[in-house]
Amino acid sequence: MSNPVFRLRLPIASVRWLRLFVLFAAVWIIGGLVSSVSFAQHPEITAADPNAHAAPHAEAHHGLSPDAPVLYHGIGGHPATDSEPAKIGPFAATNSMLVTWIVAIVVIAFAQYATRRIKEIPDGAQNFWEWLVESLHDFLESIIGHDLVKKTFWFFATIFIFILFTNWAGLIPGVGTIGWGIPNAQGGLEHISRPLFRGVNADLNMTLAMAVVFFVCWVYWALQANGPGGFILHIFGPKGDTTGALKVLMIGVFVLVGVLEVVSIMFRPVSLSFRLYGNVFAGENMLESMAQIVPGLSWLIPVPFYFMELLVGLVQALVFMLLTAVFTLLITQHDEKAHH
Amino acid sequence: MNYLPILAAEGGILDSLSESAQRTGETFGFNAWLFFSQIISFCIVAFLLHKFAYKPVLNILEVRRQKIAEGLLNAEKIKQQLAESEVRYQEILTKANTEAQKMIDEAKSSAQALADKRAQAAIGEAEAIIAKAREATIAERQRELAELKKEVTRLVIDTTSKVTGKVLNQDDQRRLSEEAAREVAA
Repeated sequence: MSNPVFRLRLPIASVRWLRLFVLFAAVWIIGGLVSSVSFAQHPEITAADPNAHAAPHAEAHHGLSPDAPVLYHGIGGHPATDSEPAKIGPFAATNSMLVTWIVAIVVIAFAQYATRRIKEIPDGAQNFWEWLVESLHDFLESIIGHDLVKKTFWFFATIFIFILFTNWAGLIPGVGTIGWGIPNAQGGLEHISRPLFRGVNADLNMTLAMAVVFFVCWVYWALQANGPGGFILHIFGPKGDTTGALKVLMIGVFVLVGVLEVVSIMFRPVSLSFRLYGNVFAGENMLESMAQIVPGLSWLIPVPFYFMELLVGLVQALVFMLLTAVFTLLITQHDEKAHH
Repeated sequence: MNYLPILAAEGGILDSLSESAQRTGETFGFNAWLFFSQIISFCIVAFLLHKFAYKPVLNILEVRRQKIAEGLLNAEKIKQQLAESEVRYQEILTKANTEAQKMIDEAKSSAQALADKRAQAAIGEAEAIIAKAREATIAERQRELAELKKEVTRLVIDTTSKVTGKVLNQDDQRRLSEEAAREVAA
């Protein structure tokens, strides 16, 4: 009788994920140890700062600056000099724009790689990319309908995929920690004042740009679906079947409701952009704070928060896409009663 | 009461709102040129993603959807054709069965008719043979009877002439032969 031997056979996909996880964990731990050693080697850096005595807490925790540092100051722009403050001109570029382009290039390169040799029965990268795009398409179709999704898929897909991957790209070690700073008296660099990379959505200009582009598209789709008169009627027109004096009253009420609706519509870009910016900016600051709370454990303490930020990145991408999709659906859908 | 001057006047609500918005924007790093750059950047990224990232997959999915629709349509057609073939096959089978049954019936009836005809012919032939045989028998008997009569007559005449010692004339001979013939016939 042979001895029973316990064998565990994982599927190939699980083995790949396991390898990836082990690699990720190894990089994480090594990176954390290196940064801990770095902190240990330069304990004098903080103390050497002239402002340290005045505001020790402020210097111990620098945090992410609310504005994205400018890498290129644009046409006619220039960095700050001794005599003149910095001037930003047209087509200026920030570090968040750099990450925007890197993420876009990576996504496009992956999509091109996935679709380089189309197979009837997809597998690997093609399977993943098809799954992502098709799931997104079907999901949006179930919310806003077949006709509208045909017209607007490019925008909502970009919103979701772009926000998702830029949010996750902001969590990659190096984003926010590689860049330029002002060395202290000992020549050490304790804080990066101009990081080379920055979380894309931790830049209000970017989130506002997306919200404003959506607003323009929203107006275009609304006019296309309703026409100018229908668009105004959609906002200010009375709803429901009323007659006589009640109808006159309802017209007055709905005009006032329409004014409120216009205010609400005008504030949509603000709410959309600040929601995303606030979540991502707060997340990055929280990660930095968690990394600095116990210098020796800077590689361990932020780990749970990284997982939370992965979730926040997904949820915020979903929220932005869903809100914009629902806003579009609400303005483009026609009152069924009006047609009968 | 006219509220417009309060809204529009310097230091009014609109000015206050505008100032507040500007302050908020500056606090969070808003810059008009950077914002403009980001709009252009986002539009280009959206266009490129649409053209190079989604469009190929959407085209693939559309082609696959069409193929599936065609496949389903073909399957439906094939199913319909199969059902039609089944009906046609059943019809042909029923028709063939009917025709075969008809042929069998015809064959049976014609065989029966042929058998009857042959039997009748055989019976006719047999009767003809019997009649012929009977006629031949009668003729033979007549011939034998005639020969017997002739022999008996000759014997009677010979015997009579020997017994009587008389030469019998023509009349005696005729009379004796007639008597002998009568006796033989009796």
